[in-house]
Amino acid sequence: MNDGAATAKSVDIALGDIADLQDVVDRDALREICRSFFDLFNLSVRIYGGSGKLLASVSEPVELYQYLQELESGGKLVGDIVDAVKRLVPTGNEVERHETITGAVYDVVPITYQGRGVGRFVIGPFVPAELEQVPKALVRLDRSVDRMKLRDLLMKMPRVREETAERITDHLRSVIDLLLFSSHRAHLTSEMHVASVRESYRELAEKTAKLQSAYDRLKELDQLKSNFLATVSHELRTPLTSIIGYSEMLEANIAGELNDEQREFIGTIHQKGNQLLGLISSLLDLSKLEQGVMRLAPQPVDAGGLIEDLERTFAPHAHKKGIDLVVEVRGELPALNADPLRLKQILANLAENAIKFTPEGGTVRMVAEATEWEDEGGDFGAVLMGSTREAVAFRISDTGIGMPSAELERIFDAFYQVDGSSTREHGGTGLGLSIVKRLVDAHGGAVTVDSKPGQGTTFTVTIPEAES
Amino acid sequence: MQVDFHAREITVKLVYYGPALSGKTTNLQAIHQLVTSETAGRLMTLETRDDRTLFFDLLPLTFAGGQNLQVRFKLFTVPGQVMHNATRRLVLQGADGTAFIADSQKSETKANQQAFLNMRKNLQENGIDPDTHPVVVQFNKRDLPAVRTDEEIDRLATRGREPVFKAIATRGVGVIETFIGLTEITWRHLESVHQLHDKFGLHPDEFLDTVRERLGIGRAAE
Repeated sequence: MNDGAATAKSVDIALGDIADLQDVVDRDALREICRSFFDLFNLSVRIYGGSGKLLASVSEPVELYQYLQELESGGKLVGDIVDAVKRLVPTGNEVERHETITGAVYDVVPITYQGRGVGRFVIGPFVPAELEQVPKALVRLDRSVDRMKLRDLLMKMPRVREETAERITDHLRSVIDLLLFSSHRAHLTSEMHVASVRESYRELAEKTAKLQSAYDRLKELDQLKSNFLATVSHELRTPLTSIIGYSEMLEANIAGELNDEQREFIGTIHQKGNQLLGLISSLLDLSKLEQGVMRLAPQPVDAGGLIEDLERTFAPHAHKKGIDLVVEVRGELPALNADPLRLKQILANLAENAIKFTPEGGTVRMVAEATEWEDEGGDFGAVLMGSTREAVAFRISDTGIGMPSAELERIFDAFYQVDGSSTREHGGTGLGLSIVKRLVDAHGGAVTVDSKPGQGTTFTVTIPEAES
Repeated sequence: MQVDFHAREITVKLVYYGPALSGKTTNLQAIHQLVTSETAGRLMTLETRDDRTLFFDLLPLTFAGGQNLQVRFKLFTVPGQVMHNATRRLVLQGADGTAFIADSQKSETKANQQAFLNMRKNLQENGIDPDTHPVVVQFNKRDLPAVRTDEEIDRLATRGREPVFKAIATRGVGVIETFIGLTEITWRHLESVHQLHDKFGLHPDEFLDTVRERLGIGRAAE
């Protein structure tokens, strides 16, 4: 239970209440109402708020009062009248008529709204139309009083018939009530707008916080996954090294001469061991790249030499598959500052894929050429934002099976293969391209792919020259 | 409820809740039409779009409680559309009693249930215990085809603690009965929590008779 007086706000949203006229109604509007009321009826009017504060008033000096104030005891009399009217607060909903010694009266009208008093207005002084004579008490007020003048002044005051007074107060009442109602509605509406927005914001903020914590948790799990991957890869490598080492020794007849069958078996163990090692190394690379702990050892790299080196590595393999391997270095290449081992790993991976997916009689083309490094943002404000850095573009294209364009966005995701069956057919882990992408990113470069199903695929790796 | 001892004024908040288009605003409009202007103030409608309530409607009713005591009722509706939940929760703040206006059409059964659960949740979020909160249920639109039968409603009504009323709000049928039913359980609840009789000398039975009388309904047959 609330004590209303203690907790009263200007407008209470929970109850939609107002405590005082002045809380919602525009004072200028009240003044204008008073003014037009005065113009219409020639009656003075004052509007007070619930706390008794005068909110609006239009009146003209009362000549009778001015005259009385000139008299010896008249000054106090006028003061008393005005005070009494000010202090009069009607209870309930009825109009209170305040009669004065002068014969003039004031009507004090309560303003109630939704069953609650929120202010009052005072009309007057005016003289009831029925009054014929100057009240005796007024005449006897002072010896020096001029009876005729008193009468003149009293008759100069607005005269209002009883039922007219009622109609006039009713009219003003309903005008103020309407003003209150529409002001209150506007006020509540704006309060509700603000409150609804605040409430919706609070709801959103709560949901965002929940999502954020779920996201943090996922990130943590992802980190755990990477750690796990790194640890497992590392632990797998150790025994594998022994397996490869010992199978190598067996192959080299260190433990005695092997017959052909034994040699073949050991050869398979050795080969598969190396394959497994490659896979584990890829996993380790990926987890290092994901954790951002892969360290590059950048140094000046001759891009042309690098690609020719690759040609030597892959020529026998391509030849064996009946694939034409074409290598081109176009023009003069800028010097790169890169990790040569990693750069080679990038290109080797792409070359291996190209050969893998190209059928017999096809062509794999490896091109290195100078290009201009394009920053993100396109040509918008290029004159300011564009860089003048050169770059080397490595293009590796094949005439293989190609990929549908919908798949191109996802091929750099770890473990993703366009068609699950290709792993079985072509081998591979689905890690290669994700490692390529991350390594290229680590070099500040870009990798793009262009492919048409049935016609082949071109990967372009662009590595910018060292920033000057 | 808000009590102003100085002004001898009690203000009670009643909320008309329910699914979209079940007739909450129509209930208030009907009360406004049926009750004299001495008792009911202007019906305030706050923001509507395509004739649908966006914020709320507000109908003030005032009753004299004797010994200069003013008892003011503020009847609110909530916006029924699902998306206005934040506003619904705001309007439900400080509710002393709730009339749940259900749509009698069988096709609206699910919507009724969802709105009821939503009311329960919003009561809780406003710190109001739904288990003690005074609630009456009105099955509105009794004149439509494909509605739940009276027998069905009566049978279901015996299972719950909430008083159940049937209404055709568009014709003013059952609307005053629902309001008086809500006033009765709300007032008795407030009496038991705040001992208004002791504090204001206002006996619940007397007051409820006053309300019935002012709304043009004799003592309810018991």
